[in-house]
Amino acid sequence: MPVDPIPSAMSAHDPAEELLPWYATGQLDEFDRARVEKHLYSCEACRAQVAFERRLMSEFRSTSPQVESGWARLKARIDPPRAAPAAKPPIFAELWAILSRPAVATLAAAQLALIVVGGGALYSLTRPDYHVLGSAPVPADANAIVMFQPETKEADVQAALNAAGASIVGGPTDAGAYVLHVDPAKRSAALRRLQADSAIRLAQPIDGTVP
Amino acid sequence: MSGESPEVSRSGILRRPRTEAARPPASDERELLARVAAGDLQAFERLYRLYQPRLSRFLTTLLRRPQLIEEVLDDTMMVVWQTADRFRGSSKLSTWIFAIAYRKAHKARLRWPDPVEDPEQDGRISEDPAPDDELHHQKLHDSLMRAMDQLSADHRAVVDLTYFHGLGYREIAEIVDCPVDTVKTRMFHARRRLKQAIGGSLADWL
Repeated sequence: MPVDPIPSAMSAHDPAEELLPWYATGQLDEFDRARVEKHLYSCEACRAQVAFERRLMSEFRSTSPQVESGWARLKARIDPPRAAPAAKPPIFAELWAILSRPAVATLAAAQLALIVVGGGALYSLTRPDYHVLGSAPVPADANAIVMFQPETKEADVQAALNAAGASIVGGPTDAGAYVLHVDPAKRSAALRRLQADSAIRLAQPIDGTVP
Repeated sequence: MSGESPEVSRSGILRRPRTEAARPPASDERELLARVAAGDLQAFERLYRLYQPRLSRFLTTLLRRPQLIEEVLDDTMMVVWQTADRFRGSSKLSTWIFAIAYRKAHKARLRWPDPVEDPEQDGRISEDPAPDDELHHQKLHDSLMRAMDQLSADHRAVVDLTYFHGLGYREIAEIVDCPVDTVKTRMFHARRRLKQAIGGSLADWL
């Protein structure tokens, strides 16, 4: 598809206009923020633009590519490959299959997962992601599942996972869930920590045991 | 307007933007990197799992060939593994790693230029049954993503680092190795293009 030239004649009507994206994402220092707010006070167009920026930000954060850990592949470049880990219990595979179904089945999957997981939070899922994923393989080292609140900032996700010592090893599923690996010996504490985090809608073990 | 009273709009449009969210303590990441520099594979796995989702997203925005994304991500992390001892801490660890990824992606794009776009992609929407409002939203989302595809890789990088990764313009300038004014200008033109692409549907977005 031909690409229109980027119009070079157009430029910001005020230096503050160029800062609006980072005003919307909260990434300006005090000086820049004061400058923007001073301009916004008298510029209706830029006030509308801030609303647009926030909409863009929300839209960009609403989708994310499927994360499949390539650790084994990378590790093979460093170390000789080792034996594959043992298969997970059946209930694990079952839950993963449910949560990685295509979007068309998301609501049914969410309701079924509600029964399996026993967590009420899945019920509040109202809008599926639009990209369709096939049924993904069960990540070998996953032992917990988590769902974040809508529009959770990526840094908040990282902070929550870090605090719990958890790593994402799969997802997002069409239900918007990610599967995690946590130290099995510390899983209960990690789940309690995740469940207490305001960015997190649901955190559960996924081998059927209660934390 | 007072700094203590950020609600500046009668229409409620403007709200105090979120302050920078708490990232993993820099000291934790530094400690992890120090272990990586000492050849601790377990620490490297932890670092990999911290960064792989973010780098996947960033590289997906930059590269249109899926096979390149894995390759560049692995190459990036191999550089981290091999040169961790050279990180001096003059920038954030995330800035250093993203800058490596950006350079690797740039080199990969020189070897493998972007594929020609599918001309039938325009107007294609999911065939999944969806309520009208969802369908409408999806059309808007699709038009936005198509508009992104038409931006240059340099512009896409700045947009992704700003909106998705929530980085400030100074950190972005370090990652893409250009002056901060260039970052601002790229962002200005990119969002103008995105806005044009949304076109008459703009009212639906607000």
